[in-house]
Amino acid sequence: MIRRLILAAALVSTAALTGCATGPKYSEMSSTIPAMKAGEGRVYFFRSDSMLGAAIQPEVRLNNVVVGESKPGGFFYVDRPAGSFSAAASTETEKTLSFTLDAGETKYVRTSPSMGLLVGRIQLELEDPTKAMAEIQKLSFTPLVKK
Amino acid sequence: MAVARPQPAGMLRALVHINPHESCMSASARVLIATAAFVALLSGCASPVRTEPVSFTPLATQPAQVVQLRQEATATLATGYPRTLKAGSQWRLAGSVAQGQVYRPVNTVFTIEGRHVHEAYLVVSSGKLLGFYLPGEAQYAALETPVPLSFGDLQ
Repeated sequence: MIRRLILAAALVSTAALTGCATGPKYSEMSSTIPAMKAGEGRVYFFRSDSMLGAAIQPEVRLNNVVVGESKPGGFFYVDRPAGSFSAAASTETEKTLSFTLDAGETKYVRTSPSMGLLVGRIQLELEDPTKAMAEIQKLSFTPLVKK
Repeated sequence: MAVARPQPAGMLRALVHINPHESCMSASARVLIATAAFVALLSGCASPVRTEPVSFTPLATQPAQVVQLRQEATATLATGYPRTLKAGSQWRLAGSVAQGQVYRPVNTVFTIEGRHVHEAYLVVSSGKLLGFYLPGEAQYAALETPVPLSFGDLQ
């Protein structure tokens, strides 16, 4: 019993230290998401709720502009004019994801940790809309906080 | 779309496997190569997708033709990343490049991968997949070996 308590305490403190996403779930805030403006598309960035690589929480950039952070269990979105985009996370090695965004289109970018040579890194990949939305429903909204 | 990544364990096993009757490479050399390959994989040193600039002409008439792939097909890029096109997947004619007609996936996304990940559309000519159009970069990535595709019209 004591071992279980210690294990639970360790998990909770690890989660607290690593800063897993905290914020309203998609189901709680989706009604506040505004409609897209004419000529714009929307990009959702999300990351599964997993302890694997939880300490790696780099900034996410879209066309070299920081738009948020990759946090376990978190998601955020940005609206951009239709066009070509390159997304990347600021980690040891930079693996970019290039894609286009049409007006009125929504794209979903999964961020996930993987093992690097010295430290972990975050990879970005386009996700199927159906799979992405099923996952985002369970995640917390973590918009960019301007410091 | 399923993406099959190169299997590091399998690659290492293949490199480290030593058959005394066949091998002309010393065990230490194989271990060295395997270690180098492992370090390269860990450090994300995949080769970049080779591309060339291309001019894309969007389809002028709407609605666009949608086709369905009858049989699964696998294209392996020079980067070593194979990509599988699932049987039953649907593709909409989006336009053309000099190399052939360009089809984009319907209700899903398709990417190819090397050092970086690129959204990709199919470039098809005479029933064969010749390569990929990368819409985010306006580039064309050719396959070394064209892959026959079996399409059926949907509309």
